[in-house]
Amino acid sequence: MTGQAPILAVRDLVKRFPAAKGAQVHAVNGVSFEIAAGETIGLVGESGSGKSTIGLLVTRLIAVTAGSILFGGRDITTLPEAEMRALRAEIQIVFQDPWGALNPRMTIGRALDEPLMLHTDLDAQTRRKRMLEIADRVRLPRASLERFPHELSGGQLQRVCIARAIATRPKLIVLDEPTSSLDLSVRAGILQLLEELRKETGAAMLFISHDLETVELVSDRVLVLYLGSVVEQGPTEALFASPAHPYTQTLLSANLPPDPEAKLARHRALGEIPSPINLPPGCAFASRCPLVLPACREGMPASHELGQGHRAACLRIADGSNRLVD
Amino acid sequence: MSIATTDSAPARPGVIGWIIGLARRSPTFALGFAIVLVFAVLALGADWLAPFDPVQTFPFAVLKPPGGDFVLGSDGNGMDVLSRVIHGSRYAFGISLPAGALMVVIGVPLGVVAGYKGGVTDEVLIRILDVLRAFPTIILSLAVVAAAGASLLNVVLVIGFLDSPIFARIVRAEVLALRSATFVRAAVAVGNPPWRVMFVHILPNAIMGAIAQLPVRMSWAVRISATLAFVGVGVQAPAPEWGAMIRQGAEFVISGEWWVATFPGLALIALVLGFNLLGDGLQDLLDPRRRATGK
Amino acid sequence: MTLLSVEDLHVHFVTRGLDNRIRTARALNGVSFTVEQGEIVGLVGETGAGKSLTALAAMGLLRPPAMIPTGAIRFDGQNILALPPRELNAIRGVRMTMIVQSPLTSLDPLARVGDQLVRMQQQHSRISRAEAVKRALAVLDEVRVADPERRMRAWPHELSGGMAQRVLIAMALVNRPRLVIADEPTTGLDVTVQAQVLDTLRDLVRANGMSAIIITHDLGVVAHHCDRMAVMFAGTIVEQGRVSDVFREQRHPYTRALISATPKRIAAQGFGQVGGTPPDLYNLPGGCLYRDRCGRATELCTSAPPLIGIGPGHGVLCHHAAEIPAP
Repeated sequence: MTGQAPILAVRDLVKRFPAAKGAQVHAVNGVSFEIAAGETIGLVGESGSGKSTIGLLVTRLIAVTAGSILFGGRDITTLPEAEMRALRAEIQIVFQDPWGALNPRMTIGRALDEPLMLHTDLDAQTRRKRMLEIADRVRLPRASLERFPHELSGGQLQRVCIARAIATRPKLIVLDEPTSSLDLSVRAGILQLLEELRKETGAAMLFISHDLETVELVSDRVLVLYLGSVVEQGPTEALFASPAHPYTQTLLSANLPPDPEAKLARHRALGEIPSPINLPPGCAFASRCPLVLPACREGMPASHELGQGHRAACLRIADGSNRLVD
Repeated sequence: MSIATTDSAPARPGVIGWIIGLARRSPTFALGFAIVLVFAVLALGADWLAPFDPVQTFPFAVLKPPGGDFVLGSDGNGMDVLSRVIHGSRYAFGISLPAGALMVVIGVPLGVVAGYKGGVTDEVLIRILDVLRAFPTIILSLAVVAAAGASLLNVVLVIGFLDSPIFARIVRAEVLALRSATFVRAAVAVGNPPWRVMFVHILPNAIMGAIAQLPVRMSWAVRISATLAFVGVGVQAPAPEWGAMIRQGAEFVISGEWWVATFPGLALIALVLGFNLLGDGLQDLLDPRRRATGK
Repeated sequence: MTLLSVEDLHVHFVTRGLDNRIRTARALNGVSFTVEQGEIVGLVGETGAGKSLTALAAMGLLRPPAMIPTGAIRFDGQNILALPPRELNAIRGVRMTMIVQSPLTSLDPLARVGDQLVRMQQQHSRISRAEAVKRALAVLDEVRVADPERRMRAWPHELSGGMAQRVLIAMALVNRPRLVIADEPTTGLDVTVQAQVLDTLRDLVRANGMSAIIITHDLGVVAHHCDRMAVMFAGTIVEQGRVSDVFREQRHPYTRALISATPKRIAAQGFGQVGGTPPDLYNLPGGCLYRDRCGRATELCTSAPPLIGIGPGHGVLCHHAAEIPAP
């Protein structure tokens, strides 16, 4: 991380949803992280990890249960509605499902015009000019501006959503699984576009994905989430080269690289991800961890510093017995 | 596996093209539309189409049977039944159109706000609407019209108010389903104020059910206004209103002059049927489940 | 020994448009491949390439508006396309079974897991209930469902996604089929669960000498769980061969584009030539279907490409296959 003040600082973020019979879904349990200007952070996790919930919290599309989210030094969790609306020019989000993310009864042109109309004082003609520039930038055919969402392909729709997100030149873009529902060759085009935009605009990105390879490709730093807690975080290279937490190790070994010659480790977690309703105390991974100790179930393990901001929360790290072996 | 399909219907611009497209896919809609269209033409062209003035009396031609100068006969005041039936369609539309508009104007925004805001706002609004719906409508409208006076405006207002909860309910249900849709979230994220989220983004996607319901409720408006006139608290004779005509004609059915009540009755049935077919057809066509599989 | 052979299979969808014009989508355009006894074949491709359709055809499950104008499908010496329904039913679910994509919607919500496993067996053979229950318990144990007795009494909605997928695999295996077709068997499952399920499926197929077709869009799954692979594009197989050969040679430009579009390859080699849309199946051009997206297309590609043999069992549908150097 650079020395400058972070663009986003998340502190002890907690989100619980009410579930049936008075139970609670513990979606996010005390997550803290920072994003420096221009940095891309990868949030990786499986279902129930809370990664998408964090995306919605950071963009204040849902309210926090506890904790603070400082954007440019201001806590957006307590910002009045009108001020938050104005701030939305600087925090944008792209969703997973491009087919559902656009109003089916609004032309692409109107959808792209909307952020400019809401956040700038430009007249319609100037806006139109800006819109065409942006459409060209994301390689969206100009003719598609007159069309409705159902007339475009998934890849084109995702370009529309990205264009809409960059229209107001935001400082932070949350990308919630932006390529997961797209075909492989379409996906590569979107990733390439995001990479270019990142260099050009200098926007910071929070890239949320379950796909390790994509996260590895795009992120400067990675946070590994499991059941609402960050179990490990660090610079992408260090984390992927030597994952410290048993969960990260399992996750990496479950990934199948597109290369038949690649050697696979076969660390398999036990059973399935438990439900995030009424979580027991202790390490969230304890119920599936092959290396579990009795102490793991008693309290949340402290985070161990492994150098360069690479940290993992596992009791086993202290004596170096945290490595899974086949 | 999915096959990319693109509908290649011949493109006709605007509303006419849309209606032709709908009629092709649903014979029910086509028939209903045709019936309503016929009455609309009668209403608009009544002054030219009707052979006589509907309230002109021919003192020497009272209760003439159908045939001759009076194609559908004449009534007890010596007025031409055909001309009165034709002019009656003006009352039918004159009541059902503004009443329908009123239902939509009151009901739809209430439904959108209740569905989107949720919580207390929703609870309060829905309870009020429930109370409104709990009254037997015919009795309530009788009471209101009897108390406030039997003017055309009062009939329209009563019918419009009484049916608006139906539209609020339909729209609210759709809005509830759409509230957490990704595109609504995206609209908020882009910075839309709540009114734009509700009325620019959600409403156009939540209005289909209400559109399909509108003809059905308009048929109800035609029926209730005729009922009010029939029991004597609605539009008053000698105005050529079908309900009032049936009331007047009912006296003569016993004595054998059947045509006075029958023809306005048939007209009433036909228009109500037309509106209902139109509504049913729309319902089928606009139903998202049918749309999904009906390719 | 060849267990399944698909020869020059064409599938058309004939529908009537809103304007009453008859439209034909040419969804499969000459698919040929074989599955040998004991091997796992991966069918890989993007949305609309015809992977699932090929599987449905092999199962004899295509219904109008799908039509098969030409082609042959032979399973265990019998022509699937010519079999009367009764004989087809004797094959389907017994000797050839299918695992479909969405486990939760594929189980009967109104029957307990055990009853469904028993029914699956009794539909196809005279077997006592006690015997069927015994076999159901054994197969649940094989697919590593913990506590099979308890799971037998469970309702489908009580199962987690991974557990439901294991039950579906158990349903597919309980009659000891000779061929299992798995259509995106792990799409929608979490990565760690996906790994467990794939391991189980592969181990069972291997242990019982069965054959399998795995349909997937995930090149990683093909690379590590299949023996041979076929790459599909616009209803054709553009390249097929042993997995190691195809990944090493990548002779068809589409295979190469697909593999280089994976994040791992992008990280290593940067963004290659990407993008492009699949051709309109209603309006297919003649010649090579990939030529509009192909960087190597020449005049020659307007004529139908030949199947060029690269090595043993490794074929590529491309005029230029021989000239393309290995990466």
